[in-house]
Amino acid sequence: MSLPRSNYDPRRVCVNPFPNVSLDKHKRSIGVYLAGALFAFACWTFWDAAILSRHARPPSDEPAYGVPVHVTFVDWVPGICSVLGFIIVNLIDKDRVRGDDAFSGDGGAVWRARLFLFIGFAFMAGGLAGSIALHVLKYYLHEYPEQFLYYGYANMSQNVCFMLSAVVLWLAQSSSSEYEYNLTL
Amino acid sequence: MAAGLKTVILLSFVLAVGFLLIILSCALWANWLPLLVALTFVLAPLPNALFGRCSADDFSAEYESSGPADVGRFLTSVIVVTGFALPIVLAHSEVIRPAACVMSIIGGGLVYGTILAYSAAFRQEESEFD
Repeated sequence: MSLPRSNYDPRRVCVNPFPNVSLDKHKRSIGVYLAGALFAFACWTFWDAAILSRHARPPSDEPAYGVPVHVTFVDWVPGICSVLGFIIVNLIDKDRVRGDDAFSGDGGAVWRARLFLFIGFAFMAGGLAGSIALHVLKYYLHEYPEQFLYYGYANMSQNVCFMLSAVVLWLAQSSSSEYEYNLTL
Repeated sequence: MAAGLKTVILLSFVLAVGFLLIILSCALWANWLPLLVALTFVLAPLPNALFGRCSADDFSAEYESSGPADVGRFLTSVIVVTGFALPIVLAHSEVIRPAACVMSIIGGGLVYGTILAYSAAFRQEESEFD
């Protein structure tokens, strides 16, 4: 039987607290801009692959080869999962997850917020893993030429950028709430 | 006031050059898809302008984490990146020529830079009266 930690908080789940990066308001807006740019970049890398697939021609050295593979709906699924996870993660009240706001009377709200956060991150990680699986199963194992492998690479970078965007947005927004908390005390 | 007048004239000149480049990139190859870039960059400052009013309270804007302002910034950034990415994607799939892509990107950058510079200059003049 071990002794409880000195700063023991029964509502806390993780041993390590959330990273408290103290940025001022200016850096917060830069973070939000960066998150938006990453989001749009992610969308456009995948749409580039989709548009390219729509206009794809067979390789110039052997025209009889044909276009072996196209971007179909299956390729859209990991991105849709990532966007769903992105929305869920960013809809959650950051203070509620941390569990240190004074006005949360019951622990149920904190528990539910953490559950939704888990679901959101699971959606995003599932999107990323799905894109990698899709690249391996649909493109890499069939040994297509490099111009068709690009569809899989675009899909993976799309999901990585969605995740980075969510992380940047989370950091930018949670840093400011900490700032506000210090000021109001 | 003379400096302000010169600024306005210079900015309008740059704006005209930007639109000229975009329209030229469409008209030279008779492919009017790059005109979407002009539309995108004209729309780019709109979310910031709309949602900026939501957090414009003189006291709370300093401290509070304003969600609507963040939504505006996020959308602005998304639209700006879209404006740059659209011609690149179109050129990549060989819908438009690379030259048209470069011209529309430069033109769009000039248009958006004009809008940014105009709003910054206007804000500066406004703060002089305080």
